Amino acid sequence: MVWSGLAVVAAGLFLLRVWAAWPDAPGGDELDRVILLYSVLPRPVVAILAGAALGLSGLLLQRVLRNALAEPSTLGISAGAQLAMAIATLFAPGLMVFSPALVAFAGGALAVGLCLLLTWRRGLEPVSVVLAGMMVALTATSASAALILANGDYLFSLFIWGGGSLNQQSWQPVLSIAPVLAIGFIASILLLRPLTILGLDDRTARSLGLAVDAGRLGMLALAVWLATTIVAQVGVIGFVGLAAPALAGLSGARTLARKLVAAPAIGAILLWTTDGFVQLFSGGGGERIPTGAATALLGGPLLLWLLPRLRMMEWPTIGQAASLARRTARPWVLVLAVAVAVLVVAGLALVLGKGPDGWIVANGALLADLANWRWPRILVAAAAGGMMAGAGVLVQRLTGNPLASPEVLGVGSGAGAGLAALFAFNAAVGLPWQFVAASVGALASLLLILAVSARAKFGPERLLLGGIAVGAACGAVITAVIALGTAQSYALLGWLTGSTSQTEPSHAVVVLIAAAILLLPALLMVRWLDILQLGAPVAAGLGVPLGRARGAVVILAALMTAIASLFVGPLSFVGLIAPHMARLMGLSRTRHQLAGAVALGAGLLVLSDWLARTLIFPYQLPVGLFASLIGGPYLVYLLSRGVPSRA
Amino acid sequence: MFGRRAFLAGSMAAVTFSGSDVLPAVAAQKRVAVIDWAHLETCLALGITPVAGSELRQYRKIVRVPEMPDTVADLGLRGSPNLEMLRFVEPDITVISQFYEYQTATLATVAPVLSLPSYEAGTPPYGLLENSAVALGEALAIRPAAERLVSEVADDIEAARERVIPFSGQPVHVISLGDSRHFRAFGADSLMGDVLTRLGFENAWRDDTSYSAAAPVGLEALAEQRDAGIVVIEPLPADVGRSLPDNALWNALPAVRDGRVSILPPVNHFGGLPSARRFAGLLAAAVAGWPR
Repeated sequence: MVWSGLAVVAAGLFLLRVWAAWPDAPGGDELDRVILLYSVLPRPVVAILAGAALGLSGLLLQRVLRNALAEPSTLGISAGAQLAMAIATLFAPGLMVFSPALVAFAGGALAVGLCLLLTWRRGLEPVSVVLAGMMVALTATSASAALILANGDYLFSLFIWGGGSLNQQSWQPVLSIAPVLAIGFIASILLLRPLTILGLDDRTARSLGLAVDAGRLGMLALAVWLATTIVAQVGVIGFVGLAAPALAGLSGARTLARKLVAAPAIGAILLWTTDGFVQLFSGGGGERIPTGAATALLGGPLLLWLLPRLRMMEWPTIGQAASLARRTARPWVLVLAVAVAVLVVAGLALVLGKGPDGWIVANGALLADLANWRWPRILVAAAAGGMMAGAGVLVQRLTGNPLASPEVLGVGSGAGAGLAALFAFNAAVGLPWQFVAASVGALASLLLILAVSARAKFGPERLLLGGIAVGAACGAVITAVIALGTAQSYALLGWLTGSTSQTEPSHAVVVLIAAAILLLPALLMVRWLDILQLGAPVAAGLGVPLGRARGAVVILAALMTAIASLFVGPLSFVGLIAPHMARLMGLSRTRHQLAGAVALGAGLLVLSDWLARTLIFPYQLPVGLFASLIGGPYLVYLLSRGVPSRA
Repeated sequence: MFGRRAFLAGSMAAVTFSGSDVLPAVAAQKRVAVIDWAHLETCLALGITPVAGSELRQYRKIVRVPEMPDTVADLGLRGSPNLEMLRFVEPDITVISQFYEYQTATLATVAPVLSLPSYEAGTPPYGLLENSAVALGEALAIRPAAERLVSEVADDIEAARERVIPFSGQPVHVISLGDSRHFRAFGADSLMGDVLTRLGFENAWRDDTSYSAAAPVGLEALAEQRDAGIVVIEPLPADVGRSLPDNALWNALPAVRDGRVSILPPVNHFGGLPSARRFAGLLAAAVAGWPR
């Protein structure tokens, strides 16, 4: 009922456009006729086709991965496709001439492949898959941001794919999307039986005679093809793929066959309606908000509303034995050794750098001058890295998920959304105001996550899902502001990539004090963390106030993330990796792991900052992006060796 | 020990001594580092080779004229100039525009900072650029050269205007293409927009565009001004050449049907007087070929 109502609204909006564009005089102006025929008419058709394709893609992904949160944007497919197109545009324009769709498909397939690789050992468990997807998406978005920063003034096509735009001037996109959608739909119907079976667990599927892996791979490819076709034709459109199948289930489509019809239909109606309103509000001067950004803005709240109503599909728990990492005899000596190593790296970073003629060990007056810029960077990197790592240990211990990290807690993105809101009012505000805006954004997103997860007493799963939802919603706000392509976009892009090049001494002092204030209580909380790990009943039995303990840990982790991400951007992987490195070194007890991880995190980010400063001197790489580019492969290696399912 | 002397020996073949040892004629010249691209162009056009400039790789690709000598040290991206490099080249003065004023305190620890306005939202920039060129000349003790540049560029623009007198009052869109469906227009407060009206055309894009080009707009917005010619500034995205001819709306635009469309090589969006002169010349040459 609701859906037919919405469809009527969309159709009404569309008729309004047609009426406005109708050539006035009989036999009227040739151009008016062309505009009606090639701009006004194709637009809703593209919206309907794209919405349907995304709905179908989301349904397939959710089915194949048995994951209610899977969709092109949460799995990094859209961001991967966008990055691939940006890279191709800059470095292999011939490829873009040959086939943008192929480039987009390669990027999307690579992204989803990476997600699966990261979570294979964990049996593609849903929350982990989405966590990996968010990381891949964040990295790809940030890499795209760096490319835009270096080239965007003169090649603004890089901006366009970020926020899917449905402007049309020909039927070509319709003709490109329609066959893919048709093939996808027919294939899905033919594959109805295997798809149904894939909804069951692997052993049942195998015993029913299905080549599980081949079937899964084939359907994944189909879903990626559908999604990347849309990216190539109109850009990134978020959330439709997530919302359509979920809403189809909620509005009564129980069997897969009915969902196969309902999900694309609902996706089509959603996008058509959204686009109708975007056009209504865009006015004469052209559209100010791309439709893709608008769906993302609507999608975030929708996801939060959906969360409590979603039943995660049943997934067999993997009985993977937690491999006991070897434990060192003298953990504090090891922590001290790491700390000394960090100091050495910091010292090197202070004196060693590049000059016009290559490497230079600075001393004397030159060092005195250079040190003025170097020590704030080093301190900020160290403090931010330490806080990220500390937050990582807290979140991983709390949720028992080794893929959890402060980056996916959504707080970093919340800080970014706060900045975006501030820049929307005034692009040229000073750092104190940026600090306030980012903190407010971080705090608001934190409260939202807490509100979502409080009902489950901050239960691990709900917390992660809430974080993902808030992160995705805030990411959408950021994307929307960036897609505007104005001065504000550049300020935000700079933050997104995580640059320390403008660090001033006062920042260093502020962030250092914050680190000291926040890390100390974390060290005092280790007993809680140790006990919380044993599970809720045990913890309650030992007299730990479950809700309050979890709440305190979450707030602490969020504050650390918010402050660190303000200075080094929303991602770095340090919060994810440092805890693992500490554990692999044999620091298995919480207090040792925490201390070791903080030292390692500080060292990692100082090292990254130094490399980012020197590698392509005089140009500088953003440290957050650079850290994640070296952290990402290490993470893949780490996980391919098998990480126990309990951190 | 790796101060100015080492740098000079390494990369400035022409000047082999440092500080007070240099030839008298060169000694009078200040060592200038320029971060803003408009002032960077102007500096070169005044015959002064700066010791450092920002984002020179992109500059050589986009700006082209005036040519950037290889001896100039690269300061990295305009948005985040490399302070260490700036320290190595030890300029006497660093020239910025108000875009970079938030960094003045930091930059001033290396050398005195001169901030000259280049672009302001809502203000046609040509007048600002003229004033800033003279101010730059004044600061570098070559004011006569700067005044000469101002009048030469004005003459060249006037000459270009005379070439297109038959098109006087013709509305023209100056745009850059994002893909085959979107463009950004250069409004009255952009360099292209200002020069366009100085050549006697009417800017078909009425909105201000915040110094350069604003949000991507669908190509159908070009249809709102039926009789406007279209000038596209490169670089073009790779796939546009393939897909634009398929764009039915583009093909139906009167400008496209009647051949009032030109594609110009890259021009610096944030350029100075040299870019203004270059754009005026390119535009006049292109439009002169349009049907009346």
